[in-house]
Amino acid sequence: MLNSCKNMKILGIETTGKYGSASVIDETGRVFSADSSEEMNHLRGMITLIDEALREAGISKDELTHIAASVGPGSFTGIRIGVTTARTISQMLGIPCIAVSTLEAMAKGALDRAISAGALYVVPVINARRHQTYAGVYEAVFTTDPEKQSAVPVMEEKQYMIEDLLEELRTRMDEYKGSVVYFTGDGIDAYGDIIQGAMAEESYVFADEAVRYQNAESVAKIALAKAAAGKTITYNELMPEYMRLAEAEQRLKAGTLSERIRKPVKI
Amino acid sequence: MKDGRFLTLGIETSCDETAASVVADGRFVMSNVISSQIDIHTAYGGVVPEIASRKHLERINDVIGKAMADAGVSASDIDLIGVTYGPGLVGALLIGVAAAKAMAYACDIPLVGVNHMHGHIAANYLEHNDLEPPFMALIVSGGHTEIVNVPEYNKCEKLGGTRDDAAGEAFDKVARVIGLGYPGGPKIDRAAKEGDAESIAFKRVYLEHGSLDFSFSGLKTQALNYLNQERQAGREINVNNVAASFQEAVVEVIADKAVMAAEKYRQKRIVMAGGVASNSRLRALIEEKAGARDIDVLKPSPVLCTDNGAMIASAAFYAYRAGAEPDLELDAVPGLEF
Ligand SMILES: Nc1ncnc2c1ncn2[C@@H]1O[C@H](COP(=O)(O)OP(=O)(O)OP(=O)(O)O)[C@@H](O)[C@H]1O
Ligand SMILES: [Mg+2]
Repeated sequence: MLNSCKNMKILGIETTGKYGSASVIDETGRVFSADSSEEMNHLRGMITLIDEALREAGISKDELTHIAASVGPGSFTGIRIGVTTARTISQMLGIPCIAVSTLEAMAKGALDRAISAGALYVVPVINARRHQTYAGVYEAVFTTDPEKQSAVPVMEEKQYMIEDLLEELRTRMDEYKGSVVYFTGDGIDAYGDIIQGAMAEESYVFADEAVRYQNAESVAKIALAKAAAGKTITYNELMPEYMRLAEAEQRLKAGTLSERIRKPVKI
Repeated sequence: MKDGRFLTLGIETSCDETAASVVADGRFVMSNVISSQIDIHTAYGGVVPEIASRKHLERINDVIGKAMADAGVSASDIDLIGVTYGPGLVGALLIGVAAAKAMAYACDIPLVGVNHMHGHIAANYLEHNDLEPPFMALIVSGGHTEIVNVPEYNKCEKLGGTRDDAAGEAFDKVARVIGLGYPGGPKIDRAAKEGDAESIAFKRVYLEHGSLDFSFSGLKTQALNYLNQERQAGREINVNNVAASFQEAVVEVIADKAVMAAEKYRQKRIVMAGGVASNSRLRALIEEKAGARDIDVLKPSPVLCTDNGAMIASAAFYAYRAGAEPDLELDAVPGLEF
């Protein structure tokens, strides 16, 4: 069943990348945002950003109907700040949560520009270091009504080696000769050279730096669609999407946790 | 406010306990919820920061909810929120700080950041309701071994501290070496009761004459050397004796220096705090040595010795009363000094 869309006021927060932001979206789709220009200032600055976004929207926090967070993948620390903030506001105000995939929000945010650039695929790439990425591949569906344009996932959101991601993309593009990929995200900063080396010159576009990074506006837009479709959850169900086990957990599972750490010396 | 009492919610996530508590008038514990992760970290032989951060996130909201429910209050009754903002593991601290700020904002409650170590001292205000500064504080925990003069609430003058390992750390390391495992403190305490503290001569490290500093790292080396030497000689090792002798070497130095500091500053009370303050031998010895000089020794009950939200609430209450500015831009400071 669809929820009533009347008087929706959704707060979206984004803390998974370098810059934090908060946005309020109402049922008509109008968005009011506050962005931080300070890098990795999420913990200190989050409440100020939320307060600014609410003031821009001209509403008080008691009028909020939902709270949405970008749940990852991305910086573990950033994810935790955003998710904890969202969970707690939800708990205290008694309003439902909405989980938004960071990669989906990035694809959504890049969609218009990707279509203008003639791209068939939108590929958000987050730098996960040592040739690793968190990425997803979306097909840009163009319609004459810009409101109905959508980004349809065609490859799983997960951890890829940058080389593997590009290999899979090339295979896919062989089926659609002449198609173009629109890359966005800080993966460009880290792996721009590798992408350049692997892709034919005409076959890709990089998002401009000014629009390359995660932002709460896209989070709020996806949250609005989810709220309208009744896809809300409780604060306890709002969980981070790390896409990776903690390193110690990986090693414990693989049986390579240092002996000294795992077992006390027996005498 | 409820029934005319000022209510503080304290939140603590600096290491591996997710904790929250409601305290009335800075002194009376109405609820004290502690969700420990010890069972999880035991598999790794110590606290894994990334895992601790993940668990704090999953638990913090229900811990806060339960603290209010147990106290029979709701968020609108809370007058002040206090949260540990350092020292501790940065990833762990920020969960508590993020939750505290979000709650303070959503419910319009003032928020003050609390130094975890001030919290440990404040645990005594909860246990001893007429205790007031001035006094000499002895903080012995997993990360600290400190002698601190406390002239007034939340004012701490550090007189001495460890130059290498903290007391609790030394307990944990030696426990690992002799096969007792993690967490080492309580296990050594127990094993020592069955052992002879004079069986092995571990060196007491007093440093320069009159110094109030500590050094415990050499004890681990001494323990290792002893074990090697016994093993090579083919002798069987009595774990209880090692535990008792090691423990005695640590607590004797701590007790002596705490009493020396109290005498030097003419304090009539020594107030203990931190996880190692629940060590039974340290308690007995310091009482004996202080008692001989007419100095009282106070300590919190074991549940208030280790990390908890109540001690943070109490410290927040006194900080706020002394004029601490509420701060919604609070940041986590992992290396926060006294
Ligand atoms: N009975 C005991 N005897 C000796 N040590 C003990 C005892 N009980 C607990 N400990 C030690 O106390 C430490 C834990 O105390 P606490 O929780 O106060 O420290 P922490 O919070 O890890 O460190 P800090 O407060 O300095 O950041 C551990 O090192 C543990 O081994
Ligand atoms: Mg502690």
